[in-house]
Amino acid sequence: MRDLQLSLNQTQRVRLQAALQQLQDLASQAAGSSSVTIADTIPVNNEDGILKGHGTSELDGQVVATLCGVVERVNKLVYVRALRARYKPEVGDIIVGRVIEIAPKRWRLEINFSQDAVLMLSSMNLPDGIQRRRTAVDELNMRTIFEENDVVCAEVRGFQHDGSLHLQARSQKYGKLERGQLLTVPAYLVKRRKQHFHHLEQYCVDLILGCNGFIWVGEHLETGENNMLEDREKRPETSKSNMIHEEQEQTFTPLEVRQHICRIANAVRLLAALGFILTVESIVDTAEASASSNIEIKDMLGPEFYVQTVEREVQRRILLSRKRV
Amino acid sequence: MVGLSTGEKHFIHGGIAQDLRSDGRKRLHFRPISVETGVIPQANGSARVRLGATDVIVSIKAELGKPNSFQPDKGKVAIFIDCSPTAAPEFEGRGGEELSSELSVALERCFLGGKTGTGAGIDLSSLIVVEGKVCWDLYIDGLVISSDGNLLDALAAAIKVALSNTGIPKVNVDLGASPDDQPEVDVSDEEFLQFDTSGVPVVVTLTKVGRHYIVDATLEEESQMSSAVSVSVNRHGHICGLTKRGGAGLDPSVILDMISVAKHVSQNLISVLDSEIAAAEANADE
Repeated sequence: MRDLQLSLNQTQRVRLQAALQQLQDLASQAAGSSSVTIADTIPVNNEDGILKGHGTSELDGQVVATLCGVVERVNKLVYVRALRARYKPEVGDIIVGRVIEIAPKRWRLEINFSQDAVLMLSSMNLPDGIQRRRTAVDELNMRTIFEENDVVCAEVRGFQHDGSLHLQARSQKYGKLERGQLLTVPAYLVKRRKQHFHHLEQYCVDLILGCNGFIWVGEHLETGENNMLEDREKRPETSKSNMIHEEQEQTFTPLEVRQHICRIANAVRLLAALGFILTVESIVDTAEASASSNIEIKDMLGPEFYVQTVEREVQRRILLSRKRV
Repeated sequence: MVGLSTGEKHFIHGGIAQDLRSDGRKRLHFRPISVETGVIPQANGSARVRLGATDVIVSIKAELGKPNSFQPDKGKVAIFIDCSPTAAPEFEGRGGEELSSELSVALERCFLGGKTGTGAGIDLSSLIVVEGKVCWDLYIDGLVISSDGNLLDALAAAIKVALSNTGIPKVNVDLGASPDDQPEVDVSDEEFLQFDTSGVPVVVTLTKVGRHYIVDATLEEESQMSSAVSVSVNRHGHICGLTKRGGAGLDPSVILDMISVAKHVSQNLISVLDSEIAAAEANADE
């Protein structure tokens, strides 16, 4: 999400500045000595044989940071974990990606990483659900599973020996995503958690927080055994004629669900523009706050709600810090 | 170009059909617009306009020149648009040229009227210094920094804001003894004349997606368009220019319908722009 440009009026500007100042004060209370900015000295207590890792350098016999981030120590290794960095996949991450190419026995996916990820035909469940060897026919029918530009949800399987990143989709919950919109946010705003798939029952909306910063907000679909099979059968119908196509589009997503999708999507956009961590709680909380104060969906990105959201975040953090004490 | 999956395309089509687009806007809602003036100190006038994630800069440079022999009583205006490679990788090298020239031509049509300069949104006769001898040449240069759809409307708005920010230096003319002499012109660097921008139009682009048309389409919505009609409307609700893009044809009645909608939308846009210009000027003065 690119930055929001807002024209705040005088009172809104003052309120925003006050709230941001409070946030900064709260943050500096919480932050220990472990967070560094560029050129900060990292104390190493003159230990011998310290290994300088990523984001560190030696200057006048001292170890200094060359990045803004958090100092991490693993035995003798000292390195800085950057706060704002490109997404770096870890095994088991749930990610959302877009198919950019179909190659022999594999799909190539754009996942916001420095290289494209590979999803092998053999590392995904086939529509018929039977475990078997992939035949040449399967290979020819790969487009019936995923086409170019399809949005796909998968799990990071790991790096291969040649350095390429492999994905897998061995469960019904993974697969193609339809009837919704894809949002792109900075990857560091999504933290790794136990649960990345969220079915917001009260809204009938599926929310997938991909670790790579791709977020899917869409209509809830039951993940049944035959979901993919149905999909394949439906396909010829959709392209039959323009008339049917248009009729379908009218009935596609119910208006009420679409309103919820847009509201949640705008909550994500707003939080990302503010640089607040995206969790399902914060997103739902923001969406509910906007609904309860009768703010129209499009006005969620406007100046008034922007300031309100910052102020609410301040209140939340004050409460949190009190609880901790 | 943006690639969208079938599901996303359907979602966009459905949203437009249901009058609720992906970011919660209705079909005839603009995105929030933000305006900055005086961003380029060397220019006579400049403006930066942001429309959602679309970001454009326009600068206006005034130079003394000789009027065209066919129209001795009119100044000259040239519009040139450049698409920066920062907006999209496709614009690198010569890639942006096609879009640049398309935008320049569309803007010239909307602002400068016909070849003879009649019906121009910018009053060309106000640019004359000495009839037939000296006039002001206005060079309007636009730069697209970031593109998220609806470039034409953003550029037109930026030109309007930049023109209202433009100061044309006062000149003292010393007519030579004989009428054939080139008059001597003394340009003042302190006194500036404000440009009259009350007649400058805004452009409203109506993008047709499916059976409906929308204003201020994002890049994703533009990728789904069948055709788009850009209407430039001035403060009095008069149409100054019309451009159609996209391959698909339109029924004449639809075009008439679009024009009346554009007229209605443009009056809102003009009032929003006016208040933004006032706010931007106040900010610049601070």
